[in-house]
Amino acid sequence: MGEVSRKSKKPLQVNPFKLSQPMGAALAFLGVDRCMPLMHGAIGCTSYTKVYYTRHFAEPIAIQTTAVSDVTAILDGGDYSIVESVKNITGKVTPSLIGLHTTGLTETKGDDIRAVAGKIDFPLVHVNTPDYEGGLESGWALATRAMIEQLVTPTESIDDDKLALLPHASLTPVEVEKIKEFIASFGYEVLALPDLSTSLDGHLGEKQAALSGGGISVEQIRGLADAGLVVTVGDSMQGCARALLEKNPFVRHLHFRHLGGLEATDALAARLMKETGVERPQPPIARWRKRLQDAMLDGHFSLGQTRVLVVGEPDQLAGFCQALNEAGARVAVAVSTVDSPQLETIPAAKVLVGDLEDAENLRDEYGLIVGNDHAEALARRFGKALVLRGFPNWEQVGNQLKNDVLYEGGAYFLFEAANAATALREHKEGH
Amino acid sequence: MTPKPKIKDLLDESACAHNKTRKTACNAPTPGATTGGCAFEGAQITLFPYADAAHLVHGPMTCLGASWETRATKTGWEGRDLTQVGFTTGISTKDVVFGGEQKLLDAIGYIVERYAPEAVFVYATCVTALIGDDIDAVCRHAEGKHGVPVVPVHAPGFVGSKNLGSRLGGEAALAGLIGTAEPEEATPFDINLIGEYNVTGDMWQYSHLLEELGIRVLSTLSGDGRIARIRTAHRARLNVIVCAKSLVSLTRKMEERYGIPSVSLSFYGKRDTSAGLLAIAEALGDAELVARTRRLVAREEAKLEEKLKPYREVFRGKKAVLNTGGNKSWSIASALQDLGIEVVATAVKKATEADREKAREHLGEKGVLMMNPGAEQSKIIDETGAHLLLAGGRSLYTAIKKGIAFADVNQEKKKSYGGYGGLLNLAEDLKNALENPVFTNVARRAPWEK
Ligand code: SF4
Repeated sequence: MGEVSRKSKKPLQVNPFKLSQPMGAALAFLGVDRCMPLMHGAIGCTSYTKVYYTRHFAEPIAIQTTAVSDVTAILDGGDYSIVESVKNITGKVTPSLIGLHTTGLTETKGDDIRAVAGKIDFPLVHVNTPDYEGGLESGWALATRAMIEQLVTPTESIDDDKLALLPHASLTPVEVEKIKEFIASFGYEVLALPDLSTSLDGHLGEKQAALSGGGISVEQIRGLADAGLVVTVGDSMQGCARALLEKNPFVRHLHFRHLGGLEATDALAARLMKETGVERPQPPIARWRKRLQDAMLDGHFSLGQTRVLVVGEPDQLAGFCQALNEAGARVAVAVSTVDSPQLETIPAAKVLVGDLEDAENLRDEYGLIVGNDHAEALARRFGKALVLRGFPNWEQVGNQLKNDVLYEGGAYFLFEAANAATALREHKEGH
Repeated sequence: MTPKPKIKDLLDESACAHNKTRKTACNAPTPGATTGGCAFEGAQITLFPYADAAHLVHGPMTCLGASWETRATKTGWEGRDLTQVGFTTGISTKDVVFGGEQKLLDAIGYIVERYAPEAVFVYATCVTALIGDDIDAVCRHAEGKHGVPVVPVHAPGFVGSKNLGSRLGGEAALAGLIGTAEPEEATPFDINLIGEYNVTGDMWQYSHLLEELGIRVLSTLSGDGRIARIRTAHRARLNVIVCAKSLVSLTRKMEERYGIPSVSLSFYGKRDTSAGLLAIAEALGDAELVARTRRLVAREEAKLEEKLKPYREVFRGKKAVLNTGGNKSWSIASALQDLGIEVVATAVKKATEADREKAREHLGEKGVLMMNPGAEQSKIIDETGAHLLLAGGRSLYTAIKKGIAFADVNQEKKKSYGGYGGLLNLAEDLKNALENPVFTNVARRAPWEK
């Protein structure tokens, strides 16, 4: 583990790749079937979020705004704009849930959304997500926790075959699906909250959607407390597990900081074996483990000569850095959007909370970048190799099917990283 | 206690009491039933293409985090292009409680020192406007300290729509930049291009023609713009508003203040491009220039016709339904007609009264102006046997269901459709769409489905 610097000395952010809490919360609500995220703020935040995810997932995105204006900003405590919004939304479509969350504006003016929500006679979850705190990952986690706290029915009974999976914000739809399948192969019925694997996985639906489609159902959320096991992936989701444990003291909790690379996947498999008494996982899992080992060997030569910059949300960062490190790549710099306990564990020479200007200042220390669209300009300008990962990726299609976790995704990821590094080296030597 | 004012009443009155006939169009956005960007976004779009200026967003993360590097506003600026750089004070809880003015001042200093911009635009956003940061004072102070223009932009999102924001962006340029420097030389054919943001290089589709005619673009607001040039904009002979209603009040003020007349036009499609060039020449009032322009237009049209020949075959007898917003409802329609495609319907739901009139002119008596395109378009496709649907991504399913070709016209553009050259790009894209088997292939049933 390298040095960790958590505090920027700069009075601003230059080329930030951080995203806001309200955006994270909206995304979490999109993982619930027929849910309408309702952002309590002025129209722009919602519009940006909608356009942003529409372009990233290349899917229609359902989300609404309470449209706070200069008048309501001063005179309304949320009663008018929220109640009016619910009326207008439910006048047109019938969501199974409304996911009400705040923005910096409505937090600053101090709206008591809990009180307003109490007056609304419609299934609704409310959560405070000021955008001057936290980021995408924490917004996602806060919304998930709110859903657990406000929807899940307390119980003391346990269904040993049922497992609740709480994935962090940066796991792609197909990654959530793969994790569900992996766990299910040990005999569990797996319910993910939120579940983007069935809502934003890019399958061709029958018609254009006015609401999110697929995802976990509200009924399933309500009944989540009898799951024998709750599995969290990502440190940001710890609070969500605690909330579920409050609903049922007999639920047991397994935590994984991430599921990137061999060691982490081994740990998951080992725990599931122990829980279930299964002695050998299903054949495909064993086969993919061998393939991952093979990928590590095949890739080690290129990756071993490569120093890497990884930028991302903390939980995502932890997974990538671990996978790269296991195959011999040295992570020179890891830049995180926000602070997190994860940062202590990341195997990188330098770990910092910062922006892409910070990454640019350290540009002599790496040759390969793993990061989002915004890192592309950096890669282009200084001739670095680039593996595009994280939000946003508007340059490429197929983001929902990018799989980097567990044995299988780990193998694909290492191949891609090794090939990118090799291509760049050959390109440079060819000059 | 005085009774609380009824918010609904206030909202109805606040905007446009003068405009009785179209009151609804001016109303505040409806909670829970609104799409579209905020004023901040509009202001940023308007000023952002100044590549030698820094754009500092004073607010929390949503405002900038989701908006930088989103538009391909191309610039010819050599060296570091600041449109590729996102700056934000990224205010935190502490700033919300204690105020963000010192941080803002420090941030401006940081930018000036390290990025040496020709100017700094400082955007107020919802939170910083609400906590009452005195952006004007900070900007004034910083300007004195650093000796470059530091221009406050007062368009926090909650004041209104993207459109209003564009207007406020223009106002900021007028208040802070226009008229603050003199041009090295003046020509009788100096113009300002207003409302052209050079998205995907649209402006470059016709700027070389202006140059050939001897018309000089003195400054732009703000496509491929330069701060030094917009400061001299008050010396132009003519303001040319390109496809942008929102900046009319700016040009009106420039007329009052500096006596600069203006023309409003569009550079989409062959006819509009030709008409636009001629309108500029005529407004500049020089007979020789008008004659020159006529010759150039004739030459360019002939050249274009030659290149369009192979496409005309493909487009013969083809009908299109157009579902988009604002001035696109007629400007793209016009371009389609130039290609020989019949436009049987266009959406005018999000268009202004003037845009609706224009759409009516372009489509003629038979053409349908759709007020509720989501519901109407599929019926019209059936009735007219249209071959092509041009719309935003959400309408893709309509096209697949009807088994017709689809082109996404709302997607963040990558390719220019402006000017004569852009019409060729449009032709190529539509040809590809019409010939693409994907629309019928994805509609195919699986072997196990009935
Ligand atoms: S609505 Fe306000 S807070 Fe939201 S993006 Fe616009 S300016 Fe920023």
